[in-house]
Amino acid sequence: MPLDVADPFAPTRRQYLRQLGGSVGLLGLSAFLPASDALAAAGLPKPHFPAKAKRLIVLYMAGGPSHLDLFDPKPAIEKHAGKRPGAVDLRTERVTGGLLPSPFGFKPGGKSGLLVSDLLPGMRECADDLCVIRSMHAVNPNHSPAANFLATGRIDAVHPGVGPWLTYGLGSESANLPGFVSLGNGFGNFGFERSGYLPGQHQATKVSSKESDPERMIRHLKNPQLDPKLQRMQLDALQAMNAAHADANGHDPQLEARVRAMETAFQMQSAAGEAFDVRKESQSVRDRYGSGEFANACLLARRLVERGVRVVQVSNGDWDHHAKINANLRKKCGEIDKPVAALLADLKQRGLLDETLVVWGGEFGRTPVSESGDGRDHNHFGFSLVLAGGGVKGGVSYGATDEFGFKAVENRVSVHDLHATILHQMGLDHEKLTYRHSGRDFRLTDVSGTVVRDILA
Amino acid sequence: MRLRRVPVCLMIAALVGSPAARADDGVEFFETKIRPALVEHCYACHSAGAKKAKGGLRLDSVDALRKGGDSGPVLAAKGGAGLILKAVEYDDEAAAMPPKGKLPDAVIRDFQKWARLGSPLPADAAAKAGPATGDAAKAKDFWSFRPAVEHPAPPTFRPQWATRKLDHFVLQKLDEQKLTPAPLADPRTLIRRVYFDVIGLPPTPDQVEAFAADARPDAYDRLVDELLASPRFGEKWGRHWLDVARYAEDHSTSESTCKPPRFPERYRDWVIGALNADVPFDQFVRRQLAADRIAGLPPADLAALGFLGLSPVYHKEPKLSQEVVAGIVADEWDERLDTVTRGFLGLTVACARCHDHKFDPIRTEDYYALAGVMANTQLAERPLKADGDADAEALTTVRARLIDTNMRVDYAKEQKATALKAKQDAAPFEQPIKTYEVALKALKEREKTLYAGPIAPGVRDAGTWVTGDGPAWTVIDYTPDAMRNLPVFLRGNSARPGAVVPRRFLPVLSSGEAKPFTNGSGRLELADAIVTDAKGLTGRVFVNRAWGWAFGRPLVTTPSNFGRLGDPPTHPELLDDLTARFLKNGWSVKWLVREMVLSATYRQSSRHVEAFALSDPDNRWLWRAPRKRLEVEGWRDAMLQVSGQLDLKAGGPSDDLDRPGSVRRTVYGKVSRQRPPDVHRLFDLPDANTHGEKRGSTTTPVQQLYFLNSPFVRKASVALVKQVPTADVPPADVAKALYRRVLLREATATELATALRLVGAEDGDDPAAWELLAQILLASNEFLFLN
Repeated sequence: MPLDVADPFAPTRRQYLRQLGGSVGLLGLSAFLPASDALAAAGLPKPHFPAKAKRLIVLYMAGGPSHLDLFDPKPAIEKHAGKRPGAVDLRTERVTGGLLPSPFGFKPGGKSGLLVSDLLPGMRECADDLCVIRSMHAVNPNHSPAANFLATGRIDAVHPGVGPWLTYGLGSESANLPGFVSLGNGFGNFGFERSGYLPGQHQATKVSSKESDPERMIRHLKNPQLDPKLQRMQLDALQAMNAAHADANGHDPQLEARVRAMETAFQMQSAAGEAFDVRKESQSVRDRYGSGEFANACLLARRLVERGVRVVQVSNGDWDHHAKINANLRKKCGEIDKPVAALLADLKQRGLLDETLVVWGGEFGRTPVSESGDGRDHNHFGFSLVLAGGGVKGGVSYGATDEFGFKAVENRVSVHDLHATILHQMGLDHEKLTYRHSGRDFRLTDVSGTVVRDILA
Repeated sequence: MRLRRVPVCLMIAALVGSPAARADDGVEFFETKIRPALVEHCYACHSAGAKKAKGGLRLDSVDALRKGGDSGPVLAAKGGAGLILKAVEYDDEAAAMPPKGKLPDAVIRDFQKWARLGSPLPADAAAKAGPATGDAAKAKDFWSFRPAVEHPAPPTFRPQWATRKLDHFVLQKLDEQKLTPAPLADPRTLIRRVYFDVIGLPPTPDQVEAFAADARPDAYDRLVDELLASPRFGEKWGRHWLDVARYAEDHSTSESTCKPPRFPERYRDWVIGALNADVPFDQFVRRQLAADRIAGLPPADLAALGFLGLSPVYHKEPKLSQEVVAGIVADEWDERLDTVTRGFLGLTVACARCHDHKFDPIRTEDYYALAGVMANTQLAERPLKADGDADAEALTTVRARLIDTNMRVDYAKEQKATALKAKQDAAPFEQPIKTYEVALKALKEREKTLYAGPIAPGVRDAGTWVTGDGPAWTVIDYTPDAMRNLPVFLRGNSARPGAVVPRRFLPVLSSGEAKPFTNGSGRLELADAIVTDAKGLTGRVFVNRAWGWAFGRPLVTTPSNFGRLGDPPTHPELLDDLTARFLKNGWSVKWLVREMVLSATYRQSSRHVEAFALSDPDNRWLWRAPRKRLEVEGWRDAMLQVSGQLDLKAGGPSDDLDRPGSVRRTVYGKVSRQRPPDVHRLFDLPDANTHGEKRGSTTTPVQQLYFLNSPFVRKASVALVKQVPTADVPPADVAKALYRRVLLREATATELATALRLVGAEDGDDPAAWELLAQILLASNEFLFLN
């Protein structure tokens, strides 16, 4: 750029603005200043009751991780290996054979002695913070409807995800960062990000965690051809113009809202640049999380909740192990165990875990019977989800599947119950959080859902 | 287990519906817990719908509940255990109910709690259920269901202000509210407004100057007629309609049973063409629902069927049980019915899927009578030629069989592989594999012989049956020669069929009795009923939408809900009168648009009056022209135009809006249910998975990042500067030229000074410096908002 950036803009910005438009005072100078987080917080919608958790991190394992090999040991499978007792003759998506024992051992972890698979030694170390719900059940054995169901409480691709519901119900604490950030990729992720009939600002801001440079991670975060100082000047001129325009048009709130949003966007460029840059972490912290996209995303999730982002979704694909489950599951667990454990420990160490609800799991579990000899088919009749922090009991398992781990039988927890519980921990009554659309008041939990009080600390 | 979509209006019924019912008096509990349980478990024997109410007991009305049956009252007086509770508890003192098995514990607990609360019931059954249980004549007397009639222009203080009849109605309300209309907008403001509103593009500076200089008294009328005659009109108003029709070119996922349709753009182009040709709105409706059933239409009109032909399709995995697949299919019918009824009639008929509508006179039977039309309407490709039925049949069945056979052969191979791995006999799978492969080969041969001329995604009549083909395969059978009626699905559950209902129109909107449909699926009869029997409602709903598209705020702020829970119109007589005259003028959309934009109401300035803004902040009474933010198509097209990039090539396959090379009008950008492009996602295009009632207008920082940094806006800034000579031109003149081109006005002295400061007077001939200014103009509120 050939501009002399020093001269005409040498005065302070306020002086400059006065010089430019002369009308800034009418709009209120504060409108031009970065909205502070405190100001943003003042205008937030109120929760229905005091919240235990302020933020939510969803670690979504897309494809359906096998509860039988990770969190729900079933010795009976071993006993009847290869056989097909009547109790396992449930119709799932594909052809299945006889019972397939898990080749992985389970050991107790922490003081609680919660059983966790040998595939997840890191998570096992966090056992005392984990609440394993072993009696989850859902309604559909196909990925996309099941993912929609876990994300939105319905199987059709229409309704808002739990994240948008939360930012709709609670707003965002951060003025300079989006309220809901979605990282990573996995089939069915879109349901979680969808704002559906809620206002568009509640949809997730998608960030690519493949990259480590924030400018490559967030669409349109930086103008590659303009240095920030020059852009600031450009923006000042724009805002002066907008101020004069608003002044001439009766301070229309729509106009002023856009002026503010423009200013926030500018701030966001640097705030997000900072927040989304895991390279700003010390090497020792980065080492604890490990390397790779998922590890980066977990570390980012911590950085973001620390900065007041309401909901962070981290999706991880390839959990759909129809064949070769041993090798594949070992590989996937190797990829996620260390980062998840590091995230939990890190949150705890920083005193954030109490206020941050972490949910780990997939859209369904897998069958105790084999598919293709050495794989497992989808199983929505019974599976496990793991919660941590956010006012949920640690070191416990809740509910149970049948002797083979096919069907949830004891203290069954539906996806609606899970949603009701998440909202409850965030200070929202799932029956009161509604949005009028198409002549009806819609809820995340449709017409059901009971808070699972037994797992609350 | 089937996912039931039982709406929450059960809950709000008690809150909103009846003045007698308060949230805390237990009526809500009855509505949310007890009534649904009675519907599901007891109505089969104890309701008006039962053949004979067993034991003389009916549980389907408040009066009947109070009255009891042959065994006496069923409710206890003061919170004690009444007969009904004893029955569901299987207490020895009463007949165990339901006889075929005890209710779930949770439901019994609900009955116990309800008894403890004193068995509260809604106070006034008739008021509670709205017009639903009232007599038919009363139900039809609801404001939106009445015939639309012309009204005499009301007397006002300043009748000379009016330029069209509708102005008198607006003025009357302004008088009542002690507000006064704004003066006429200046010509430059007015021409910019009317250009955007009618054709969706800004005028050029020359057009502005010409209009400003045109002193003829009918200059504005001429301008409006010119715009209405422009092919750009259909591109602007067609896009409005595409929101209603939830137009998209793919589905939320793309598994084998929900692959993207071929040539979806032919429906979009048909809509644009129909609006340009001013096809009367009643015909516009009929063709979209039933062009294939209307004799004498040109074949090109079959593309209209895309309204249903591009409906969202969900994956129906044949390996899932018949029950599960039937539920998914029922969801598809529901979405289609919802789009038709909210889109054309402004009625939330889908609320009646699980129970009678709580507020509007729509019974569950009415829902299934209409869902039956969808159950006989198969999505099918239509050859755009006369007598194409045989080709359509071949296209549809061959392609459907190809998909099915492919899935079957894969499945058989999977079974074989499983058997082999388990060291079992794989021989039983050899034969099926062979058979399917032979079939597949034959089908592929046949596919080559299929009609290869122009086709469009549409529909055809065929009964739709979800059947189990053996224990492991669910198929959907389509029977073009056999239509079916649907049973009521109890509580919306397709696995719990009730009485079968003939296909027919909504009784409350029918003149006379709603007769069963007999012409194929009944689509044409449905379309005819929508534009004849229900023409008052259909007309009002469209006029109201059009009003919203022109004025920014519809008269009824719930454009797809004209029922009791919708908002009443701000100007009922205006809506009534304009609708009646719209019908009288042959349902001409261009007439309607002309009538609106020629009005004095439309031509007001958007001047601000503090006192008026305090008393009417939303400008409900139209004391000025509204300030509207341009919709994404508006500003994007305008950026392309002022930067000299706009390519007006119309129609054909869609562009990818995320690619900077996409320089056609935004309406020609691909709309995706699965991966919406940035501009659709960020700037409020309604989610095309469902009918779009109206556009939101969100303001977010992420949107502003788009204006600050996106390749599209940066490219437009660069291109814009190229439109203005800079070499050897005094910088002030360059700045002036940019202002003129983008904001259609002269820059003020202050603005000029600012501009020159920004670009740096010394380096004014460097285009990059001017791009800074160009981008400001493109991102300014003045450019993005319409006064």
